[in-house]
Formats: sequence, C-alpha cells, structure tokens
Amino acid sequence: MIILNKVISFYYREYKLNLSGFQDILTNIIFFFVSIFIFIFSIGPDKETISSIGIGIVWTLLLLSSTLSLRKFYQDDFENGNLLIMHLNGLSFGLIAILKTFSHFIFVQMPFLFSIPIACILLNIANHDLIYLFSSFVIGSFILSCLGSISSSMNLMNKRNFLLGSIIVMIFSVPIIIFSVGIVNLEENFNSLISILFGILLIVFAINPWASGLCIRLSLENN
Amino acid sequence: MMFLVNPGKFNKVADYVFLPVLVSSIILFSIGLIFAFYLSPDDYQQGSTVRIMYVHVPSAWLALLTYAIMTLYSICGLAFRIPFGFIINTAVAPIGAVFTLICIISGSLWGKPMWGTWWVWDARLTSVAILFIIYLIIIFMNLSFENRIVREKVVAIFILVGSVNLPIVKFSVDWWNTLHQPATISKLSKPSIDPSMMTPLIIMTFAFIMIGIAIAILRIKTEIISRKSYLS
Amino acid sequence: MILVKDLSIERSNKKIFENVNLSVGSGKIILLKGKNGSGKTTLLKAILNLIEPSSGAIYWKGKLLKKNLYNFFNHVTYIADKTSSLSKLSVQENINIWKKIFLSNISNSQVDNILKTLKLNTYLNQNVNSLSFGEIKKLEFLRLIIENKKIWILDEPFSNLDDESIHIIGQTFEDHRSKEGSIIFSSHQESEINVSEKVLL
Repeated sequence: MIILNKVISFYYREYKLNLSGFQDILTNIIFFFVSIFIFIFSIGPDKETISSIGIGIVWTLLLLSSTLSLRKFYQDDFENGNLLIMHLNGLSFGLIAILKTFSHFIFVQMPFLFSIPIACILLNIANHDLIYLFSSFVIGSFILSCLGSISSSMNLMNKRNFLLGSIIVMIFSVPIIIFSVGIVNLEENFNSLISILFGILLIVFAINPWASGLCIRLSLENN
Repeated sequence: MMFLVNPGKFNKVADYVFLPVLVSSIILFSIGLIFAFYLSPDDYQQGSTVRIMYVHVPSAWLALLTYAIMTLYSICGLAFRIPFGFIINTAVAPIGAVFTLICIISGSLWGKPMWGTWWVWDARLTSVAILFIIYLIIIFMNLSFENRIVREKVVAIFILVGSVNLPIVKFSVDWWNTLHQPATISKLSKPSIDPSMMTPLIIMTFAFIMIGIAIAILRIKTEIISRKSYLS
Repeated sequence: MILVKDLSIERSNKKIFENVNLSVGSGKIILLKGKNGSGKTTLLKAILNLIEPSSGAIYWKGKLLKKNLYNFFNHVTYIADKTSSLSKLSVQENINIWKKIFLSNISNSQVDNILKTLKLNTYLNQNVNSLSFGEIKKLEFLRLIIENKKIWILDEPFSNLDDESIHIIGQTFEDHRSKEGSIIFSSHQESEINVSEKVLL
C-alpha cells in the first residue's frame, strides 16, 4: 500500500512539474503546426497531393516534435539529484523508468492527440482515416516514450552531443512509422498491423526498465 | 581459448598470428581477384556485372558477422564483467562500419545496371542502411562520452538493443517481397550457385575475413595499450 | 546499526581509499574529514549502495546491506551537495511535494517554526529560483525534518552557509542525537559541531 502512495505522490510531483513548465509542452505543439505550414508551403497547396501524403507528414512531424523535448526526460531530475532521492525513497531504478515513461506519455505525448484533428483539417485527411490515425498514435506514441526513456537515460552523461539521443529514437522508430502509416493506407489489414504494433510495444516495454534502469544507475554511480 | 577474453593472452597470440594473417590475406586477395576477373564465367542474365558479387556478398556477411561478434562481447562485458568485451566493442565498430559501407556502395553500383537505379527503398537495403547508421551511432557514442566506465557500458547496452536489427537484415528477403534477390547460399539446402562462381566467392570471403582480423588485431592492440593503466 | 568493514574502493584500477572501518550506532555523530578528492562522497555513495566496493562489506542491522536495501532506505535521509528543490515552483509548493513524496505527517505549524528559525518564512510564496544559493541550501535541510528518518547522511552540509545557519544546523544535529538518531556527514572545514567520532580519509 505504501508503494501505491509513493506512486501517486510521484505523479503529483510530475503534474506540478509539468504544470509549471506548460509553455514547454505548448512550444512542442507550436513546432508541430509550424512545420506543417512549412511542409504545405514547400510542396504547394494542391489538395490531391497534400491529402495523399498527409498521414506520412503527420506521423513524421509527431515523431520529430516529440523527440524535441527528450533532453528533459531525465536530465533535470538527474542534475538536481531528484532521481537519487526517488531511489532512496524506495523506488527501484526500473520502476522509476516505468513511471517516468508513463508520465512522458501522459504529459508530453497526449497533448499531441488533441492536435491531430486540427492537423487533419489542415492536411485534408479524410474523416474515416482519423480513427485509424488515433489508434495507431496511442500505441505508437507509447513506444516512442519507451524509446525516449532508453535513449535519454543512455545519454545522461553525454554532455557533448545530445543529438545522438534523438537519432537513436528516430532510428528505432522506423518500424513504428512503417506500420502506423500502413494502418491508414491498408485499412483491410487493420487488425494484423495493430497487433504487430502492439507486439513491438510489449517488446520495448519489457526492455525499457532493464536498459533505462541500468543506464540511470551507471550515471548516478559515476557522476 | 582464454586469449578471446584476456587482454594479456590476446597480445601474445596476436603477436604470433598477425604476420601470417596479413600475408595470407594478401595472397588470398590476389588469388581471389584473379579468379573473380579471369577464371569465373559471366552470368547468363547479368553478364559481367555479376563479378561485383565477389566484393558485395563477403562484405555484407562480414558486416553482419562483426555486429554479431560485438553483441556477443557486449553480453560478456555486461553479464560476466569481462572488460575485454568493451575493448573489442570499441576496436571493432569502425571495421564493421567500413564493411557495411563497402556493401552499400558495391550494391548500388551493382543495382544501377541491373535494376536501373542506384537505390530502392526495399526491406533489405533499408535495413542495411539502418545497420550502417547504428554503426555510426556506436562510433560517435564512443567519441562523445567523457567518463570511460559509463561510455563502454552504455555503448554495450546500445549494441544489445540495436541487435534486433540483425535478424531483420538477415531475413528481410524471406519475410517481405523485395527486389533484392534471396540468399543464394544457405546451410540447409544445396546452394543455387554454380561451383565455378562458388570458388572465387569463398576465396574472397576468406580474404575479407583475414584482412578484417588483421585490422582488428592492430586496433585491439592499440586499444589495450591506451588502457594499460586501467588493466592489471 | 551501520557497520562498514574493511571497505576499499577502486575506480578505474586507481585506489581511492583502503580498509575503512566505521560503525554507526544510535546517538552518534560521525564526521568524515579529508581533502578534496579523498573519497568522502565516494564513501557516502558506497554506504547508499550506489558504488560497488572492490573489497569489504557493509552491514545493516547485522545483515548485508545489499540484501536488505529497501529496509535500509526506509531509515535514511541523504542530502547531496546539490539542491533538489524544484526551481520553477514556490517554496510552499516544494514543501507540499516533499510532504506527499515522503508520506510525512508533519504539521504545518511545525514547518512554520522551522522556516522561522531558518529565516525563510518570508519567502513562502516566492519561486525557488528567486532565492539566493545559501537560502536554497537551507531549504534543503527542511527535508531532514520532513522525512523524519533515523539516519541522516549529509555531503558537505556547511558549504555556502553563514555562521548563524551552521549554528542552527548544529543545534538540529544535537536534537537528533538526543532522539537516538545518528548522523554521518562529510566536511573539509572545521566546525563547532561536537562529533563523537572523526574518520580521516
């Protein structure tokens, strides 16, 4: 029961933290929309073209904008010592990684969910595709959160070249992009593709606490 | 077999082995190239361009083999706390990257006359490109961390996570319909390749392995010397 | 309660310290003294099981610390040389968060009293990043009271503090000692605190 209380208070802290940094989350979303504008200006306002590549654009930009804030994933808590305090408070490193991943999913990825319908209007995406986009995004963004947790914990001690962290996420998100965009384009395969995505999610979710926990521990040890 | 995990013994074995390996790689290369250019027949479909295969296929195999070796040594380093594993990881990554690059370049040179394009986005080519980028990330990670202990362990974890790409590269031609032809040589079935082409391919493969081992020995020895103060 | 036996630590095959023996009983204040780089922080981290010792062992209540880790963590407060308060939030919000995280049942008036003695009560609704560094450091000591644990481990607690605050913290230490608590802290400078054991590193 105590551990449940600690988890709840962990999320209370995350909520307070994200509420005070709300403009950061908003900046991510503004980045998302501005890049949609840039895309439309660069390929021309032709309706047919835009709606044929719209899904791909939405997914690419969602990926790029969610990797923008990766540096914040663990870095702040690592530098002011809160990761250590959470650990001393009785949460193992793996559990911290899982909780942080959910927190990233809720506070950073979910706001994008609300911006998808607007993006669909801007990009002329048909209404019946929206439901596929939503379902693939909910699963895909959670995979992105797990990957983000792994890559940003790897780069905690990397003071010189943090862009590597974003590249790692982007490299491993290739299958997610393929299958998520495939869901919308091949609607008859919806069930099989969504189960592949779900399978990837389970694998990444299983690796995440091990890899992130090990990396956090290593960085704290040698800091 | 202790020389595979112990730096001191590795140094001793490497001193004996280095010259024979280097010489045999030069000999094998000259024989293999003679076979490849003069003694092997043209393909009835592909004409003379089939000779690119003698570079393309061995380098592709070695790119995968190098990554597999790195994965094994990462497990050794992380699970059994053998520091030699991390030395191998640091030393061998650029070699794998170069093999992958050779594979990609020779492949696209081959693809231009055969498929009419330098590059297509099919599963095999994409996964090999990703393998190349993973190698690059490993090299850059090795360069950008300041703390040695964190660096080698984090790189090992990354290698383990990245090893999911290996089966994708290997089986991409079987799992998806790709432009790339399926593997011609496999253990379970009779190879679908003529013996006259098989000989130079095998010779070239061994030549590549030997040159890879020679460079790896040099790099591993440098790596060991640079950490002399840490190892007992 | 904590028993450190023949502890030696190597990092990158370089010996940091060798054969340190230490026993922390209740009602004891232990000072780790040494120059910069002598391994004070490393020893504290080893006690918190963050660093693997190359030889020797640490025991908690007679059992190996590693086997009994989370039980140990239930009894220990660690204050690093960093400040863990969230700089974007106000002092009051930080205190609320700490109270929730550490499941503390400390009353508001108690917190007010401590804030008054630390001279922080006027900043209650200000953001932490508008405070001076010494004040943020003082705020950090509030965690000792909020967590209400038996063992306090502090890393360089007196850096950046004026004499008056050091005096207040010394009194807090005495209070804690009289309540059968124990304290380990590291320092490179002399202080007026009456320690029961000094370990030179």
